[in-house]
Amino acid sequence: MLKIENLHAAIDGKEILKGLNLEVAAGQVHAIMGPNGAGKSTLGYVLGGRPEYEVTDGSVTFAGEALLDMEAHERAAAGLFLGFQYPVEIPGISNVQFLREALNAQRASRGEGPLSGAEFLKLARAQADALGMDQEMLKRPVNVGFSGGEKKRNEMVQMGILDPKFAILDETDSGLDIDALKAVGEGINRIMRKPDKGVLLITHYQRLLDYVEPDVVHVLVDGRIVRSGGPELAVELEREGYAEVTA
Amino acid sequence: MTGTLDLPTKRQEAWKWSDMAALEAAARSDHTAPDVVPSALFLDIEGPRLAFIDGVFDPTHSRPGPVQVTAIGEASEHPLGRLAAGEGWRLSLDKGAATETIQIVHIGTGADNHVPARIELGEDATASVVESYAGTGWANRLTQISLARGARLMRSVRLMQSAGFVSIRDEANVAEAASLVSVFLGAGGMGSRIDGAIRASGTGAYAEMGGALLTRGEQRQEAAVVVDHAEPEGSSRQIWRAVAADTSVASLAARVEVKRHAQKTDGEQSLRGLLLDRTAQVNLKPELEIFADDVKCAHGATVGELDKRALFYLESRGLSKGRARALLTRAFVGDAMDRIGEEAVREAFAEDAGRWLEAAL
Repeated sequence: MLKIENLHAAIDGKEILKGLNLEVAAGQVHAIMGPNGAGKSTLGYVLGGRPEYEVTDGSVTFAGEALLDMEAHERAAAGLFLGFQYPVEIPGISNVQFLREALNAQRASRGEGPLSGAEFLKLARAQADALGMDQEMLKRPVNVGFSGGEKKRNEMVQMGILDPKFAILDETDSGLDIDALKAVGEGINRIMRKPDKGVLLITHYQRLLDYVEPDVVHVLVDGRIVRSGGPELAVELEREGYAEVTA
Repeated sequence: MTGTLDLPTKRQEAWKWSDMAALEAAARSDHTAPDVVPSALFLDIEGPRLAFIDGVFDPTHSRPGPVQVTAIGEASEHPLGRLAAGEGWRLSLDKGAATETIQIVHIGTGADNHVPARIELGEDATASVVESYAGTGWANRLTQISLARGARLMRSVRLMQSAGFVSIRDEANVAEAASLVSVFLGAGGMGSRIDGAIRASGTGAYAEMGGALLTRGEQRQEAAVVVDHAEPEGSSRQIWRAVAADTSVASLAARVEVKRHAQKTDGEQSLRGLLLDRTAQVNLKPELEIFADDVKCAHGATVGELDKRALFYLESRGLSKGRARALLTRAFVGDAMDRIGEEAVREAFAEDAGRWLEAAL
């Protein structure tokens, strides 16, 4: 479903990803773990299409298409979702306004008609309820004044509304208390654990993996995958530390 | 326009950002067929309507209600405002009176036109006036406003001329516990000068003048406002947003004056500029002149570009770059437009701003 080959990427002339290879099949959840500065977030941004990151070599194929040739919004329309480590606050634009416009833009590029305000609101409320987010927060400006946990729940509500084929979730577990962690984990399973979908979980810690069990765990160090294994690798990393496991 | 105009020059501090050349060119422009009809500019809300075509009252498109079309005698010392003399309109409301929203449409077809206006609200009277400017040429207006104790006026003005120049001079006196809220939107293709002198002359007076200027191409728009607090416990807000694209220039000068006697004044001044292109220019001049010692005056002035992180966030959810920029820019001017009390008017202004952004981005 997602195939990354020999990916090299740089920001401000500094190479961060140095020949990364990874393949996620449909129906699978892969976790990418690694120490700070390994290039985890860079991988998420490069796959999402953030313009400041320069791909210097390699290729990424998503659902049979050359992902790197697409603009960020085209990737979204193709079914890619990037969950942000630090969701951005956008004063003056309400969640519903933003998400309805985003969803309808995606639908339009797929040749589908727009959802009406009422249809959209029904969908948004159902997703907010499922994630334990107060419906009033749908009307508030995007992420403004939200706590860390609320922002992450909001990311999951967005994912539920947009219903992507593939989600790259960057440190979605950071800043979450245990209830929020559980809600977010359940959200990922409910929305994305399907035979025709895939997930790349980028995380520093093992705790989210207690709720979302990965099929494959990769260890990213200095811009490359240095080890891959089953879910037990995450437990080993947590116990032994990155230095030990990658030595 | 015949003869010479005695206009301010850039050497005068208060006019250093002004585009008097564009004003003169508009004044000397030939009349052309109108590019808009009054019915296209009236919002679908109840209430009196007045149309002025090239500064002349057009009764066929008007139902003036309580508004009188008459000669206005008051004079102004303002260099542009003093040119607006002769026949204009007057709204006088008695104590406690209220009207439906009054809409006034001004359409120019070339050359210059000048219209004076008076708004006089008696004690506790309330009114809302919406003005729209369209067409071309130079539209010059002087509006003198007098609010008696407890009176309330909401004034919403949109500058939508496709070309030419609009100059507005407001002179207002706000008495004890009275409230004046004026919101301006410059979203056309013309040059502009919005000029205000508001005197909060009674205890607890509330005065607000703000808005959004959107400029593109080689357009220049500016606002220059002075709020003078003469008595204690008054409050004022000046919330202005400037958005400039291409090589255009948007300028905002706002001053708050607090007299020695005007203790407990609460003034807020927020001037923010957004550059859509690095070749564009936003000038901000915030000024506070405070002689009282127990005063709260919050002020801020910033110029920046759209936040790249926010742009990417919106794009990553499926919005095109253009839509993401338009949405963020609309949010940027939203603060200023939100001050319009009536929903139908606020939404119409927001749509005008949205249309401008669709075209500019």
